[in-house]
Amino acid sequence: MSQTLSSLSEADIRQLTQLIDSLERSAFDFLQVQVGDLKVTIGKGDPAPLAAPVSVPAPLAAPIVDAPAAAPVDAAPPTRAAASIHTTASKPASAPVADAGTVDITSPLLGVFYAQAEPGAPPFVTVGTEVNEDTTVALVEVMKTFNAVPAGLRGTIVEVCAQNAQLVEFGQVLFRLRPA
Amino acid sequence: MTLSRVLIANRGEIAVRLIRACQDLGLATVVAVSDADRDSLPARLADRAVCIGPARSSDSYLNPKAIVAAALGTHCDAVHPGYGFLAESPLLADACTATGLTFVGPRAEHLYSMGNKIEARRLAHSLGVPTLPGSDKVQSAAEAMDVAARVGFPVMIKAAAGGGGRGMKVITRAEDLPQAIVSASAEAGAAFGDATLYLEHYVANARHIEVQVLGDGAGRVIHLGERDCSLQRRHQKLIEEAPAPGISAALRERIHAAAVKLVSHMNYLSAGTVEFLFDGDANEFYFLEMNTRIQVEHPVTEMLTGVDLVAEQLRIAGGEGLRFSQHDIGFHGHVVECRLTAEQPEHDFRPNAGKITQWDPPAGPHIRLDTHCYAGYSVPIFYDSLLAKLIVQGVNRPDALARASRALRRFRVGGVGTNAAFAAFVLDSPEFSEGKLNTRLAETLIARFVRQEGTAQMGADRI
Repeated sequence: MSQTLSSLSEADIRQLTQLIDSLERSAFDFLQVQVGDLKVTIGKGDPAPLAAPVSVPAPLAAPIVDAPAAAPVDAAPPTRAAASIHTTASKPASAPVADAGTVDITSPLLGVFYAQAEPGAPPFVTVGTEVNEDTTVALVEVMKTFNAVPAGLRGTIVEVCAQNAQLVEFGQVLFRLRPA
Repeated sequence: MTLSRVLIANRGEIAVRLIRACQDLGLATVVAVSDADRDSLPARLADRAVCIGPARSSDSYLNPKAIVAAALGTHCDAVHPGYGFLAESPLLADACTATGLTFVGPRAEHLYSMGNKIEARRLAHSLGVPTLPGSDKVQSAAEAMDVAARVGFPVMIKAAAGGGGRGMKVITRAEDLPQAIVSASAEAGAAFGDATLYLEHYVANARHIEVQVLGDGAGRVIHLGERDCSLQRRHQKLIEEAPAPGISAALRERIHAAAVKLVSHMNYLSAGTVEFLFDGDANEFYFLEMNTRIQVEHPVTEMLTGVDLVAEQLRIAGGEGLRFSQHDIGFHGHVVECRLTAEQPEHDFRPNAGKITQWDPPAGPHIRLDTHCYAGYSVPIFYDSLLAKLIVQGVNRPDALARASRALRRFRVGGVGTNAAFAAFVLDSPEFSEGKLNTRLAETLIARFVRQEGTAQMGADRI
């Protein structure tokens, strides 16, 4: 353990400390962080995580938080359990699980998701499309105002998670991307 | 009832309240939540919750476009804005109307007219409703000095676009007025986007008495009695009660009549509250402002009259006329409400956030609790500190106060500090129990409470 810790830079340790401070002040109970090969889990209160790990919303800087390896679907915490007529405000229950090494591109606002620039046009991206930070991956429309969503990160789209012309919420996963 | 699905554009205890009222009327509910409220009680109670933005209010609860988009995207036909946030926003009301959504509240024209406090004062005055000696807009320090000379010091500087206790300054000395006008104007501009100010004579021995009204926009208007909300710290109410103690039947009737006159003239739609200042020394009342929304303290009136005000708002919004005439409204006993907040008076009311580890509220006949909290809930840092409203009914005022005090002392909250002990202290105080109320009483009692707590602490430390 001490060997791994000594391989962390000053900057890494400062970043970790900042994250711990944020967790302290936040309403969240736990945080999972990957710094290089080191995965750190920080929690308070109950030992079992109560909230699904936080994905970084678009636009993204170089990510310091990764979606963890294969979170099993049935680990969904009680507060997010979907009854048959009740829908929670979270990633839809049918959303596929993140693979190791992928990053979620989430919606920066609530609105109607459009996969292409206009009806009949080809989609901005599909599975396999290579993108960089500024590539527009979708439009989200709010009250007739169209907002371009950037990929935020260089990499390859591995999954399209939102449906064209459907309402998406703030923080909803739109795409999954494998960073370059 | 033309509504079928309502978008609840609020959070916390009022969101719970609105959802329950919709459920009682068989209406489907969608609650708009911020990222910080995804796992809140309203999110669990509503048929659906949609996340409209990050925790910060300006990007979520104060974002009319996100709210309207959420309502349209989830096939709602109405939006209920609750209180605070965008409840009195003409922008939200207009955006709803423009997109075919019903705004559960007053017409936009009344949000505009009553939202401008100078215009509201002018309308009241024109109808013969008493207003405080004061001014219309003051454009300069010189004009302010003229007004002050006419009405006499002390004066209260108020922001025309303010209200709800915000944007007010009391000036006692003439030499302080010019500088105060300059800073008040700048503050008003920054806080409300409108630097316009007006002046009123300041009443030292003031009580805050407000009248609940309902209108159906088809000419029918009723009042549901008054509430006394004099127990305020820095213009924020802590305790409210009905009926207002210690005023004559004749005065009570005049206050009710004044409120009804104003809202009849407006052909007012939905719920509202007309606020008055009662000068205890002059035994006179004066119009202050009108709140064009359901208010935090609405349960006081609900328990006193048996009328579900939120349900009536929904019915009226759904095209039904007012179901009651004035003589249908009865008043039973005495009701008092205490706002339980995550603030500790002994630490200057500093708010604290964190996980509620214990939540054991009082219960029983005549006790109502409006809350979004529960054991295990983490109080977020981003919003106001209201945890719950404890509303208690008694056969008379002493009975109501005693029950409420006992209920507060039984209310066990762990993990977050609250004002429960202070609220009980207020109810038990000689001034409050004798009905010797004014808007400065809270400060006196806070000082006394903090001293008492300090002495107790010192005693405990010595052991």
